[in-house]
Amino acid sequence: MRYERKCTSTSFPRSAWERTVGRSAARNENDPARQSYRDAECPDVRSHTERGNEGAVGCLCAVVVILSFVASMPAASPSIGTILPRGAQRGKDVTLVFSGGRLSDTKEVVFYSAGFTVKKLQVVNDGQVKATIHIADDCRLGEHAMRLRTATGLSELQTFFVGALPEIDEKEPNNDFKAPQKIPLNVTVNGVVDSEDVDYFSFEAKKGQRITAEIEGMRLGDTFFDPYVAILDSKRFELVASDDAPLVGQDCIASVVIPADGTYVIQVRDSSYGGNGACHYRLHVGTFPRPTAIVPAGGKLGEEVEVRFLGDPAGPFTQKFKLPTKVEPKFGLFAQTKDGIAPSPNPFRLSEYGNVIEAEPNDTHATATPAALPVALNGVIDKPGDVDCFRFKMKKGETYDVHCYARQLGSPLDSVITIAAFNGGAIAANDDSNGPDSYLRFTAPADGEYVLSITDHLHKGGPTYFYRVEFTPPRAQVTLSIPKVALFSQERQTIVVPRGNRYATLISGARADFGGPLKIGATGLPKGVTIASEDMAANLDVVPVLFEAAADAPIAGSLADITARLDDPKQKVNVPSSFLQTAELVISGPGQSVYWKHDVDREAVAVTEAAPFKINIVEPKVPLVQNGSMNLRVVAERKPGFKAPITVQMLFNPPGVGSATAATIPEGQNETVIPMNAAGNAEVRKWKIVVIGQATVGNGPVWVASQLATLQIAPPYVNFAMERAAAEQGKATEIFCKIQQNTPFPGKAKVQLLGLPNKVTAPVLEITKDTKELAFKVTVDKTSPAGQHKNLFCQVVITQNGEPIVENTGGTELRIDVPLKVAAAPKPQAAAKPEPAKPMQKRLSRLEQLRLEQQEREKAMQEGKKPGPR
Amino acid sequence: MRRISFLMHAATIMAFGLGSVQAYAAEPALASVAVFPSAVQLHTSRGRQSFVVQATYADGITRDVTADAKCTLADPKLVRLDKNVLYPTADGKTTLTVAYGGQQISIPVQVKDAKVDRPISFHLDVMPVFMKAGCNSGACHGAARGKDGFRLSLFGFDADGDHYRLTHEMSGRRIDLAIPANSLLLQKATGAVPHTGGQRFTKDSELYQTLMRWLDAGAPTDPPTVAKPVSLELLPHNAVLDGKGSKQQMVALATYSDGTVRDVTPLALFLSNNETSAKIDADGAVTAGDRGEAFVMARFATFTVGSQIIVLPKGLKFEWPKVAETNYIDKLVDAKLKKLRIDPSPICNDETFLRRAYLDIIGLMPTPEEYTRFMNNSSPKKRAELVDELLSRKEFAEVWVMKWAELLQIRSSQQVSYKATLLYYNWLQERIERNEPMDQLVQELLGSNGGTFKNPATNYYQVETDTLKVSEDVAQVFMGMRIQCAQCHNHPFDRWTTDDYYSFAAFFSQIGRKGTDDPRETIIFNSGGGEVTSPVTHQVMKPKFLGGSTPNVQGKDRREVLAKWLASPKNPYFATNLANIVWAHFFGVGIIDPVDDVRISNPASNPELLRELGKRFTAYHYNFKKLVRDICTSQAYQRASETNASNAGDGRNFSHALIRRIKAEMFLDCITEVTDTKNKFAGLPLGARAVEIADGNNSNYFLTTFGRATRETVCSCEVKLEPTLSQSLHLLNGEDTTQKIQAGNLIGRRLQAKHTPEQIVDELYIRCLARKPTAQEKQKLLTGLSAYKDRQKGLEDIFWALLNSREFMFNH
Repeated sequence: MRYERKCTSTSFPRSAWERTVGRSAARNENDPARQSYRDAECPDVRSHTERGNEGAVGCLCAVVVILSFVASMPAASPSIGTILPRGAQRGKDVTLVFSGGRLSDTKEVVFYSAGFTVKKLQVVNDGQVKATIHIADDCRLGEHAMRLRTATGLSELQTFFVGALPEIDEKEPNNDFKAPQKIPLNVTVNGVVDSEDVDYFSFEAKKGQRITAEIEGMRLGDTFFDPYVAILDSKRFELVASDDAPLVGQDCIASVVIPADGTYVIQVRDSSYGGNGACHYRLHVGTFPRPTAIVPAGGKLGEEVEVRFLGDPAGPFTQKFKLPTKVEPKFGLFAQTKDGIAPSPNPFRLSEYGNVIEAEPNDTHATATPAALPVALNGVIDKPGDVDCFRFKMKKGETYDVHCYARQLGSPLDSVITIAAFNGGAIAANDDSNGPDSYLRFTAPADGEYVLSITDHLHKGGPTYFYRVEFTPPRAQVTLSIPKVALFSQERQTIVVPRGNRYATLISGARADFGGPLKIGATGLPKGVTIASEDMAANLDVVPVLFEAAADAPIAGSLADITARLDDPKQKVNVPSSFLQTAELVISGPGQSVYWKHDVDREAVAVTEAAPFKINIVEPKVPLVQNGSMNLRVVAERKPGFKAPITVQMLFNPPGVGSATAATIPEGQNETVIPMNAAGNAEVRKWKIVVIGQATVGNGPVWVASQLATLQIAPPYVNFAMERAAAEQGKATEIFCKIQQNTPFPGKAKVQLLGLPNKVTAPVLEITKDTKELAFKVTVDKTSPAGQHKNLFCQVVITQNGEPIVENTGGTELRIDVPLKVAAAPKPQAAAKPEPAKPMQKRLSRLEQLRLEQQEREKAMQEGKKPGPR
Repeated sequence: MRRISFLMHAATIMAFGLGSVQAYAAEPALASVAVFPSAVQLHTSRGRQSFVVQATYADGITRDVTADAKCTLADPKLVRLDKNVLYPTADGKTTLTVAYGGQQISIPVQVKDAKVDRPISFHLDVMPVFMKAGCNSGACHGAARGKDGFRLSLFGFDADGDHYRLTHEMSGRRIDLAIPANSLLLQKATGAVPHTGGQRFTKDSELYQTLMRWLDAGAPTDPPTVAKPVSLELLPHNAVLDGKGSKQQMVALATYSDGTVRDVTPLALFLSNNETSAKIDADGAVTAGDRGEAFVMARFATFTVGSQIIVLPKGLKFEWPKVAETNYIDKLVDAKLKKLRIDPSPICNDETFLRRAYLDIIGLMPTPEEYTRFMNNSSPKKRAELVDELLSRKEFAEVWVMKWAELLQIRSSQQVSYKATLLYYNWLQERIERNEPMDQLVQELLGSNGGTFKNPATNYYQVETDTLKVSEDVAQVFMGMRIQCAQCHNHPFDRWTTDDYYSFAAFFSQIGRKGTDDPRETIIFNSGGGEVTSPVTHQVMKPKFLGGSTPNVQGKDRREVLAKWLASPKNPYFATNLANIVWAHFFGVGIIDPVDDVRISNPASNPELLRELGKRFTAYHYNFKKLVRDICTSQAYQRASETNASNAGDGRNFSHALIRRIKAEMFLDCITEVTDTKNKFAGLPLGARAVEIADGNNSNYFLTTFGRATRETVCSCEVKLEPTLSQSLHLLNGEDTTQKIQAGNLIGRRLQAKHTPEQIVDELYIRCLARKPTAQEKQKLLTGLSAYKDRQKGLEDIFWALLNSREFMFNH
């Protein structure tokens, strides 16, 4: 049942829309555009926790959209919340409605996969775009990623589903078993599970027909939705039910061979009677094959492979496939027979090596299936307690990565792998190094034969408990990505460069089995865009990368390949690089768990309309010294009339360097500074740094970057060693410093004692490159707090090339004592005491002072006088 | 105000019954004589054995006739008889003959090593001194940090530790081996030097002598060969005392691992659970007080045992009324009542039975149709038929699903997602609905492995993940034992030692937990590794059944081994505990009460009945529906709540029905039912019943106010039945009465159907109270109603008054 949707109160964009531009549409409830707008809008009722940061951003953006839409000056990246319908049949045209914000200058739908042709792109309003798309007959079935590109930016990645079957819509009311929605077989139903909603669909089937109901729910990536499906007979007896299925995660597959001619009913609901307007589903009902297991679960690139599909209620069958020549992300095989094609694929590994398929019985070392490495071992733990063994030779010291692929490919198996010497004891074993799947790296301790055995952790087994164990030699490789600005957020994951301006991002590289500096590059960038960065240092896994668009670069976009090359002439290793970007689409508890995500291997880059401002770093002429600080100057170039404040921040702090989170170039002004500091262990070298800046232009934020500037980290020019000091309240004392000169500097440097307690004062002193000692006269007030004050240090400001070098050095303690309550007698002594000390020209250390005082006391004692206060 | 006046008119039930007539008869005849113990063993020159002679009369009264009996030894050369104590003089065998009231009894006496002295033992002789003198009690040196700088283990659970503290801690302070009498230990105990605890014993006491002997011997600890006590017996097992001041001497016997038996009466600590009825002094002499029942206990070493003492008014004459007995339950309940000389209340009327059975068995009120059908049924077996009918209803299962959901703590939390909660609840529901035997269910639950979604029973180990807490919960739920005390020290009022505790916990030490591809799911598995170490002995504890044997767990899933024992006749507590839980549901009080506090010092009010229920439950293959049938068809269950003079004070022996407040969920369901309305709970369809709520975390104001279990612990005290002011106020002013009356519009509909006010009042009474109003009630209500202009308003006020009446709120 689809209850009346109450999105007006929860979804800001719609109510705002009605208040501003939507009035005419609001008047006519039958207006189809309005209707679809509402349909598109309501599903966006997603909690922030479900959508991660993106929800919050979306909400914020929506406010901006409405305010500025009137002004009609779009300049910021668009945002899309939903694409409706969630899927369509291939070979057909479909009109997709993209809902979101800042869409009025939409130029293009960016597809990550082939098979889509945009026939018409129509901006309905700033919050909605309609695209009529033709889906090719041979378009791959299943999930596809896309973005919208506008003249001013790129949207988040969203997904869309392609099916093989004709599509129909769920029609409410259908929440009564006795009054279900009648549907034909071999269709895809697009529906929604509202709160506590139960949807019923009835169909006619003949005895012996294989009927499957598969749901795409969580996989749609809309919201947290854990669907449940059951096929019931007309007496309400459940033939088959499915809540979760290893092949499809929280989604479900119910598959059965019909026992008798008749009417059957499909029940669809949330597994714990939840649901809301955003819980879309695609229910595929038909006679198509639906195997849940595949053997082998992988094959050699470019070869033809015959696989055996298992787990279909009509029984196993084989099918031949020609495999691609290049590894594709999320690759899978679609089972197809004369009865149809499975709506979703069986995940399939593409590898460089061949297959061995188990030959039962192989439960013992003696009967182990032979194999020659490197290879992939394939089989099924076909009954509870089954153990499959494979026997192979290895040379001493030979190393292999042993990856088990089971749950990752949709197998119910919870693998445990063990490698043992042939007829000997176990040498290595693993249960769960990779989620429920196993992984280990094995080095042969001696030449000989070894046996890998695989079983289920809980000794379960069954005809669909398939597995694939790949033995691959360890290979150097690097995976690049753009670090997330916020957890699970898609913010700033794309590269949007305004014409004649710059944009910068961090690129991180996860190196496997090698080390060394990496040169970052890109291919397939839009015309007029260049990439620049220094090498990713060997000891770092991140580097700032600058993209610059020529002033005449066409407004365009592309999906570029980001690459890395090992930049070390000493190493002759071929390091393949890949790029990985993950869009976490469904986040929910416990904690922030990712339930559905989409990975892509290319980076979306766009050249956009010129921004009304640029920013530059005023490159410092002096180094930032260890334990020192610096104010980095950032200046803005504004186009006439552009006055908005610009927020700037360091994109990247070299190791040991800290900087203020952000600084602002105030409205109408052109300059600010970013305070920076370096720790004592900051690496001494030159770094390329970049500052990124953001300002609200028109309806949203626009990001630009400064040039790559050089920042030098240098060792301290001087080092102070400071002595500890003590004084009574209301008295004065000295703090003595010994100076070690490291780097000569011109002129005089100012030295200030910092960290003094309240109402304790010391003068600012000066030193030159030759000063060896320094003593601060410290005055302690009567009300200064007594106690040990530990954080005193010196700040040295050296001026070079007209710029200050600020350095903190030294460090000591000042003890402030409460004056002793002394009997009246010693007073004249105290007055008399300082006299003999005066001639002492040499400065006394604290210890020497104490000694002197003691001597004086002793002397006084001998003279028969009363002892002094100490 | 008129509303309130209705409240006074309506429902005047809960009046109280008639006194019973008690006749006086002639002095009863002597029935039998018994001597305790029934055999005497005297070992070594330090052996001694006291005995008591108990005479039982035809009316069940017992008397301690030790002093009056004539005792003769067949061979007085072997044994010396001093009052009622036998001392060894020479080795050999003889008999002791006791004659009283014309009856004669002989018991064998065996003497061994009469000339040999027994070496002093720290464990066997010294440690009992500390317990007897109260030194190691919780208030004194037995406190966790000791007292005044000296600590002893609480009730002596750590004898080796105590030996160390006496002899080595603060060396030279506590004992003086050169001049033992100067030992601070003795000087403090005798009050010779200031002692916060005062004088514990005198210099001439046996306790003092024991300590002196130990010090004289050089304060040795025991060689490992020294026998350990293995059991304790308190004799006689029961006594029926005739009037205030009657006495009964008790004898405490300890059996040791070497087979010897010793009289530990002077060393045992005696306690009574009801001092008003029966006091017991330090020497084991019981003195009768007021009428009642008491359980006197002896504590020695790690054992506590007890005997039942019944005290009757002096010279009470009593004649058992001839009451019908349906089954074994009645026989056993009546046997106890006879013993206590209590007259049971008569059988309740049909209306009361109908309401009681509905509320207890299915948690709902009978509908007016059901009421009429039952009342018009003239079958003599109609009550049994009704029970059978109710047992076959789905709601019966739901009541028990809820009960078990409380015990299994089915609730969502950080660790347990709502989906897992729902699956867990469905798992339970499925099993209870298909009447799966409880042993199977419990074995499946405790031995469960797999994912918390795929095998929801594993949620049991996800609700509680702490090994020790899991084992405590298992003991409490499935055996009714609270073993928590034994985590730190031997249970002070039960037999459980820290060894027992950690040995039991060892069954749960190998639970593996790991994540899987669904972040909400956890896989529970047998990790095959992990042990429990006793913090007292620092030794790895072998899994040992609580109160049972040490099974072989090598290579097995320990939990499966435990589950097989726990939910089987091998576990003496399983069947009786479950039977007691079921019993308590129908009687409002357990045979052991609270049901999850089985311990020696909290004995069953009717052990024979509990034993029999357990036996039957086992014989029924743990099908509790059959047990419920036995209970609900018994006369005991059908008794009226009105009391008589002899049973007014009885709350534990089922001589009359107890008035019980209806549990929160059922009460809400009843209000909903009688007002013809529907409830909406999160995650359940409109109209679902409160008993169907799967998640303990899902509650509403009404349920919380009326004490619904939050399922945060396994304790039976989670369900609160105490009345509170907010409950009354909520019923008076809250939405669940007034608004439901409006929402259901029952009155409006009836008026529309042209029912007369009289008919409507009748129906309201039947709906709410399962009875028709009395003539007086009806007359007053109709008079009150005539003052209303708006009849509907008046009738609704009557309805409201009924919902607020005590009779509605209580099951009586």
